[in-house]
Amino acid sequence: MNPHGHAFWWLVAAFCIVWYSTVTIYVAIRGARDIRVMLERLAKSERPD
Amino acid sequence: MTHFDAWIDGSIVGLYLLATVIAGLMVRRHVGKVEHFLVAGREMDVHLGIASLAATEFGIITCMYTAQGGYTKGFVGALPGILQAVAMLVVGLTGFCIGPLRRSGVVTIPELFEKRFGPRIRWLSGLVIVVGGLLNMGIFLRVGGQFLVAVVGFDASWLELVMSALLVLVLVYTVLGGMLSVLVTDFLQFVVMSAGLLVVTFLILDDVGWARLVETVEKRQGPGGFNPLAEGGPGWSFVLFQSCVQIAATLTWQPVIARLFAAKDEHVGRRIYTRTSVFFAARFVIPGLWGIAAAAMLSDADLAALPAGTDGSLLAMPTYLARVVPIGMVGLLVAAMLAADMSTDSSYMLTWGGVIYNDLVAPFRKGPWSEKRGLFWNRTIVVLIGIFLLFFGLWYPLEGDVWTYCTLTGSIYLSSMSILLVACCYWKRANSWGAAAAIVLGAGMPIVTLVLDKVDVEHAFFLTRLSPNWNGFLAYALAAGGMIVGSLLKPSKAVSA
Repeated sequence: MNPHGHAFWWLVAAFCIVWYSTVTIYVAIRGARDIRVMLERLAKSERPD
Repeated sequence: MTHFDAWIDGSIVGLYLLATVIAGLMVRRHVGKVEHFLVAGREMDVHLGIASLAATEFGIITCMYTAQGGYTKGFVGALPGILQAVAMLVVGLTGFCIGPLRRSGVVTIPELFEKRFGPRIRWLSGLVIVVGGLLNMGIFLRVGGQFLVAVVGFDASWLELVMSALLVLVLVYTVLGGMLSVLVTDFLQFVVMSAGLLVVTFLILDDVGWARLVETVEKRQGPGGFNPLAEGGPGWSFVLFQSCVQIAATLTWQPVIARLFAAKDEHVGRRIYTRTSVFFAARFVIPGLWGIAAAAMLSDADLAALPAGTDGSLLAMPTYLARVVPIGMVGLLVAAMLAADMSTDSSYMLTWGGVIYNDLVAPFRKGPWSEKRGLFWNRTIVVLIGIFLLFFGLWYPLEGDVWTYCTLTGSIYLSSMSILLVACCYWKRANSWGAAAAIVLGAGMPIVTLVLDKVDVEHAFFLTRLSPNWNGFLAYALAAGGMIVGSLLKPSKAVSA
């Protein structure tokens, strides 16, 4: 892919696509862990001590 | 013509819908208090926050208006996203306004205003937030339905039925599980939505190619398609208005702020802001490319074949996608867009419902309510919002640029709430007179613009001769002026009282 004289928009588009691809995989893995921890904490707070 | 296959693509969509509803319903047993319903017990961590914020702030409506921006304005159509990305990054890094807001422990922004400006300003703030928010959200279902009709290829007369079915599905898990269900389904929706968006983007780039995208913008918009201030571009009014909107939305857009309130602490909230910042550019840039690709690949005859009375600039993108996305991938695309839409609808209904419950209804309560009663009313309000959306979406005649409508309706409250929040956090002289003036002036300008646009077709009034961008910018200027003048006019004795 060549910027065709519009390097700014080429860089913006490439950066967004690369960043989004990377973050999707990272958040898919770490977000599942966040859900598990959040539900465990809520369950713990519901239990009478 | 569409490549949607009822068995292959329909199965993918059905599987996604089933998984979402099951996931949303599974967490409902954890909702025992109003705090769980509205802010998920403030237990949300960074990565879930990123997924939830990204999924919430990207619906079919977002895809449609950003693609329309690419189609009509070229690359410049993505400018609002870049502006918001910068705003999110700066606000997240500095904690400007959101730091004090999260530390205050409130559930909504008007609740914070009561501490500084009194209960009347809290109620008035709640009112403009709900009016602006619901008018903004009112068009989501119809535009989403239009996308699905074009991509899936079903009869346009099914649009209302599809809209209603989609809304009922979203209502089921939102009403039962509140913010907890929203967060869990948001996560699932983020993964499906992102996979679909990326796959379709690669397909489009492969089909059209970057060089042709650039050539199309050069041919259609000229230099103004690359630079907003160049000839043929939307000009200063667009840049100024969009800068105001994006800064204000970063500080006070209720669905965004709801993630700050649901975060475990201020630090987590700020990290969600900084780490999601690029997504706010991506949500404009990626569908913007789809819109430019549609402009490159569709002929005038293709657009003329669209149903009478529909907006070609809005429907160009889904019409093009229906042609270019192959069997199997259409299912992923539709699932991705349904995911995007459901996450947005659920979250928006919950957050506007939270403001109605917390800031509009609360002053009329006689004594504290039990958690059970509070949950009942929150759920009832969400259902009522759903019914409103269905009817508003059916009768409101949407014309022209969707993004302009969204920014004008959003500005009904963004203009004043952002000014009030900054003044509340950082200006000691700010008081209730200034707050009231800012709310009335900030809300008045967009409302007058929207109403005159419908009634003054001859452009007899000065305001209808101005562009919507100038009118929108004026709302922010008037709100700021109202806050300063009103606060300075109030006698200092009254201030200390």
